[in-house]
Amino acid sequence: MVPCWFVSSQPTHDVDQHDIHTVTLVARGIATAVAPEDGITEVQAELLEAIASALTGLSVDYRSLEPLSAEEFADALAARDLDFRQRIVHHMVLAELVLRPLPVVVAHRVAKYAEALGVKDDFVRVARRYAQGAYGLAWMDLQRNGFVGHVLDANEEAASAKTAKVRDPFEPAKEDVELAAKWTAFAALPEQTLGRCVWEMYDGRGFDLPGVAGGAPAYLAQHDFVHVLADYGTNLKGELEVFALIGRADPDPKGFAWLATLLGLFETGYISTTGFFDRDTRERNARARGMNQRIADAIRRGKIVCDEYGTDLFEVDYYELAARPVDEVREILRVPVKAEIALESGSVGLFDLEGMSETQQKVYAQRREGKV
Amino acid sequence: MNRNFTQTISVQCDDPSQIIAMLTQWDLSQATSDIMGYMGTRLLADREKLGQYVIVADFGVVDPNVSAADEAARNNTRPETRAWAAKLLEVIDGEPEYHHYDEIYRTDR
Repeated sequence: MVPCWFVSSQPTHDVDQHDIHTVTLVARGIATAVAPEDGITEVQAELLEAIASALTGLSVDYRSLEPLSAEEFADALAARDLDFRQRIVHHMVLAELVLRPLPVVVAHRVAKYAEALGVKDDFVRVARRYAQGAYGLAWMDLQRNGFVGHVLDANEEAASAKTAKVRDPFEPAKEDVELAAKWTAFAALPEQTLGRCVWEMYDGRGFDLPGVAGGAPAYLAQHDFVHVLADYGTNLKGELEVFALIGRADPDPKGFAWLATLLGLFETGYISTTGFFDRDTRERNARARGMNQRIADAIRRGKIVCDEYGTDLFEVDYYELAARPVDEVREILRVPVKAEIALESGSVGLFDLEGMSETQQKVYAQRREGKV
Repeated sequence: MNRNFTQTISVQCDDPSQIIAMLTQWDLSQATSDIMGYMGTRLLADREKLGQYVIVADFGVVDPNVSAADEAARNNTRPETRAWAAKLLEVIDGEPEYHHYDEIYRTDR
């Protein structure tokens, strides 16, 4: 049997061409905007450095940069389009979202920098609400502007698509005999196909299939196909990776809502529950050793999918692709392999025990012993 | 230090569901509009006095140069706030009683 986690050789993707002057200039603007009064924190610096390196191939030390005013930053990025400037603002917000407490002065400064860049972004406002302590309003804001609006837009744009239509990606699952039958049928597909691998992922961990009581909502279950394609684990660190990739792969910058939400759930605890995922900050997952490189690489991979495939991965009809080999689907969706540095930093595969939560590991072991 | 500000509104009302609906709608509109000092609200029912309720509205700092109390004062002048207060009069009995507080201690900061 060929294991599902076998990743064959795939085309490598070089990062875009950048010059160190521009990368440093962007880094100065971001670092100035996000630094608390005592200076940029280690967690912020390590994450931002990893992202800059993953996306540009260039290394910048965020701890020792000269300040750059909002006006200077705006001048430096004046020739860049709105999408680029908005992605830069999201890097700032990302560096805010790993802080708890998030100082009001930081959230306010980032808003000023975003304004100077001509970017009006809902996530800047969400971060300001976190800083203020208005967590309830922040979640409402994130849901309505980050997810619901985006999902509704996507539904309208892809009216003929066969993917699950939802008003809210976190709406409770419904029992659905037809959907359950589709997922059950994946078990009969040949090894190494997308459907068979995603079924093995569910079966090995004892997950209830979508469509049956206790199963994941149909829309959210879409992300499980990405676990297979991107070869990410299903513990909290793996979830951070998979949603960092999915969020950046979305041509709509609102896809950033996924990573913002996962950080709120599994890093800072700003979000208590989404209905499907619950807050778990027993371990600070984003600041764990190597996670800066793993998140950065997931963002890099997502960017490549965005640039070369250009479709929200939640809108892909995976059922249509389920009978195809995983490698073939990876090629269709332009999912690149993980970078060496991500692997060295502990980015394990979907079927590695280390990529499972303790509960999943127990179930997996019991299944292998034939007890369940 | 960012000191929060709280306004309480004591009201007499036979049917709190109308107030709850108004507060829910208010929160939705605030969550999707430009940020200001409003943080959220609690509605408390008096266990001793049937029909007596207290609306507790919290305000916080969003601009280091503007206090939470000033944010609340700004909020007070907004047309939508005026409209909300006018509508409140339609669903309560008598006049509301307003009180204003600076927060000087909170457990979970």
